[in-house]
Amino acid sequence: MSQTETHEIRIKRLFRKTRFGIFVLFGAIVFATSTLSIRTVSSQLEEEYESNSANIAKNIADSSVDILLNRNLATLQSLIDQFVEIQSIRYIYITSDTGEILTHTFVPGVPEVIRESDPHATEPVERSLPGMGDFVEIGSPILAGQAGTVHVGMDLDLVRLKIQRATGQQIALICIILIVGVLGSIWFVRLAVTPLEELLSYVVGLARRDADDLNDAKVLTRDDEIGEMARLMLHAVRGEAPGAASNPGSGTD
Amino acid sequence: MSGSRKGTQPPNGPPVPNRDPAREVPPSPGGLLTRRSAIRAGLAGLLGAPFATSLGASTATRPLAPGLRWSGRQGAQPDDEIVLGVSAAFSGPSRGLGTELYRGAMSCFGQVNEQGGVNGRRIVPRLYDDGYQPDPCVENTLKLMLEDEVFLLFGYVGTPTVTRVLPLLKKFQDQQMYIFFPFTGAQPQREPPYGEFAFNLRASYGQETAGLVDNFIRIGRRRIAVFYQADAYGRSGWAGVRAALARHGETIAGEATYRRGTQFTSVMRPQVEILQEASPDAVICVGAYAACAAFARDAMDLGLHVPIANLSFVGSENLLSLLVGASRDDDPAYYTPWLVNSQVVPSYEDTSIPAIPEYRDLMDRYDPQVPEELVVEPYDPFPYSFTSLEGYLDAKLLTEILRRIDGTPERSKLNDAVFSVRNYDLGIGEMVSFAPDRRQGLQSVYYTVVEDGRFVTLTDWEAKFGPTATGDDAS
Repeated sequence: MSQTETHEIRIKRLFRKTRFGIFVLFGAIVFATSTLSIRTVSSQLEEEYESNSANIAKNIADSSVDILLNRNLATLQSLIDQFVEIQSIRYIYITSDTGEILTHTFVPGVPEVIRESDPHATEPVERSLPGMGDFVEIGSPILAGQAGTVHVGMDLDLVRLKIQRATGQQIALICIILIVGVLGSIWFVRLAVTPLEELLSYVVGLARRDADDLNDAKVLTRDDEIGEMARLMLHAVRGEAPGAASNPGSGTD
Repeated sequence: MSGSRKGTQPPNGPPVPNRDPAREVPPSPGGLLTRRSAIRAGLAGLLGAPFATSLGASTATRPLAPGLRWSGRQGAQPDDEIVLGVSAAFSGPSRGLGTELYRGAMSCFGQVNEQGGVNGRRIVPRLYDDGYQPDPCVENTLKLMLEDEVFLLFGYVGTPTVTRVLPLLKKFQDQQMYIFFPFTGAQPQREPPYGEFAFNLRASYGQETAGLVDNFIRIGRRRIAVFYQADAYGRSGWAGVRAALARHGETIAGEATYRRGTQFTSVMRPQVEILQEASPDAVICVGAYAACAAFARDAMDLGLHVPIANLSFVGSENLLSLLVGASRDDDPAYYTPWLVNSQVVPSYEDTSIPAIPEYRDLMDRYDPQVPEELVVEPYDPFPYSFTSLEGYLDAKLLTEILRRIDGTPERSKLNDAVFSVRNYDLGIGEMVSFAPDRRQGLQSVYYTVVEDGRFVTLTDWEAKFGPTATGDDAS
C-alpha cells in the first residue's frame, strides 16, 4: 500500500470541545469588554454633555446679568441664539426672578410642559416635549437667582445617537478582534491536529499490518513527539525493544 | 488712492479689492457695476459716476485672513471718494428689504454724485450680501473695516445682523467706526453699551409696538397676541409689545414663533392654532415679509379673523405682493382686510409732503438696481416703497452730515458733524435733531392699511378695526 493510499482520518471530536471552549471564552471576553465599554463611554459622554450644558448655562447666566438688568432682551436673545447653534443644545430659555419666560428659542411656541415647570429649577431634569423629543434640562441661576434662571435643554436623542455611534465603533472593533481571535485559534488548533491525524492514519495502517509501506511513512521522519510515537508504535508492532525507537532509521535499515 | 490700500484701482473706477479670484467680481467698464452697467458706464462718465459702486461678492464662506489688523489710517479716504460699507440682505427670503433700501439710498447718492459729490468726493458704497444672517454679516463687517477700510457702515438690514456687529464696533472703538441708520428699530443700538456706536434715523420698534398697542386698546382690543421671528428682532418687538401692554395693565395673550428665513410657501398652521387658543383680539407680527405673509394667509384660511399688525421692517409692498398673488375667489383683497402696518416714514403716495415728489423723481430718474454680481435670485423691485423711501431719507441725511465735516473726512470728526444737525428739515414734516443723548433722528410712527391694492394711511381705527368691524370698512 503506497503512502498516498494511506487512510486519511480526520480528528473531529477531540477538538470540538476545545473550539467550543475557545469561542465561549472569546465571546465572554467580548461581552464583558463591550458591556464595560458601553457603560464607560455612555456615562462619560453623558457626563461630558451634561457638563457642557451646565457650563453653557453658567456662561449665559454669568454674561446675562448686565443685559437682564438693562432689560435688553434683544441682546439676550442674540446671546442665546449663538449657543443654541451648538450641536446637541436644542433649546434655551431664561426665566425672570418672578418666573416669567423672558426669552427662548422655541418654535412654534413654548411647550406647555415648559410653561408648567419650575422656573427656578437648576438640577438636571429629563423632559419629554411633544413633537420635539427627549431632553435633559439643566438650569443655572443668574445673580444667585435674583435676576432669573437660565435653562439649557440638551437633546437626549442626539446624545444617545452619539453614544450609540461611539459604542458601536468600540463593539465593531471588539467583534473584529473576536473573529480574528477565533479564526486564529482554529488555525493554531489545526496546526496541532494535522500531525495527530497523520499519526492516527499511520496507527490504523499498522493495525491493518501494511508493514512494508508503513516503514516509509512520512510521519516516522518527524523529529517531534508525533514522530516518536509513530516509531514506538512501529517497534511495538514488530516486537522490537523500545530503545530502538529513538533512531528512526534503525527500523528500516 | 493711498498706496497702502489693499487692492487695485481700475481706471476711472472704484477700488476693487484683491480677493480670491474665484469670488472676485470683475469690474465693469469704468468700474460701474450695476445691472445696466453697459449703458450706465457711458452715462457715468458724463454724470460723474452717480451709480459707481465698489463691489465685493458675497464672501460669507470665505474666512477672513488671520491676523488682520487696522492699518492705522484712521479711516482716511481716497481723495475723490467716501467709501461706505454696506452689508445687507440681497439674497434669501428677505432680499427685498436689502434691495429696496439700497435702491432708495442710491437714488439720493446718484444725484449727489452727479452734482459733484460731497466736497468733491463721490459717495461710493462697497457692497456685501449677508442674506440677513448674522455670521456672514459679522464677516462682511470685518472685511469692510479691516480690508476695505471704509469710512463708515451704512445701509445695514436687520436686528440679528446689527446686534452681532455692535460688539465689533465696541471692540474697535479706538478707530471710531460708526454704523449709520441701520434698517432696524431694535434697542441694542439705541442704548448702552453699544448706543454710542450707532446713529439711528427711524423710530424704534418700541415706539411702533407702543403705538399699535395703544390704538388697539383704545378701540377695545385688549387681548393682544404676538407672532414673531425667533431671534433678536422678534424678541425686540415682543419686548416692545410686552412693555406697552404692561402700561395698560395687560399681558401678552399668546405668542407663537417662526424661524428666520421661513419662506412664504411654509405652513403656519401650528402658529395660527397656538394663537387661536389664546383667543386674541389682535395679533402683532414681528417678522419679515415672507413669513408674515404666510401667517396672514393661514390665519385667514383657518378663521383667525382679527387685525394682524406688522412692523415697518416687514417690507409692506413685498408682503402685499405675496398676499395678492395668493389671493382666492378672484379677490385680490382676500387676504388683506385685516392687515395694518406701522411705518416709520410717511406714505410715498402723499405727494403733498415735500420729500415725496423729490424721492419719486429720483427713483424714476435713476431706477437704481442691485449690481448683477449680487443678484442670485430674481427680484422685481417696486417703483416706490416704504423701504426705499427710508433708504432715500437715510442717504439724504447722511449726505448732509458728510457735508458738515470740516475739511478732509475723518472719522474723528463724525460725532461733531452729526451733533451739529439740529432741527434739520428732511422734507417729511418732522425736524431731525441729534445730540450725544439723542441718537435717533425721527420719532413718528404712521399706520397704513390696504385699500385698492396699496397701502394707504389709516385714519379711523374705530371704523376699520373696532369691535364690530369686519375688516372691510374703509380706512
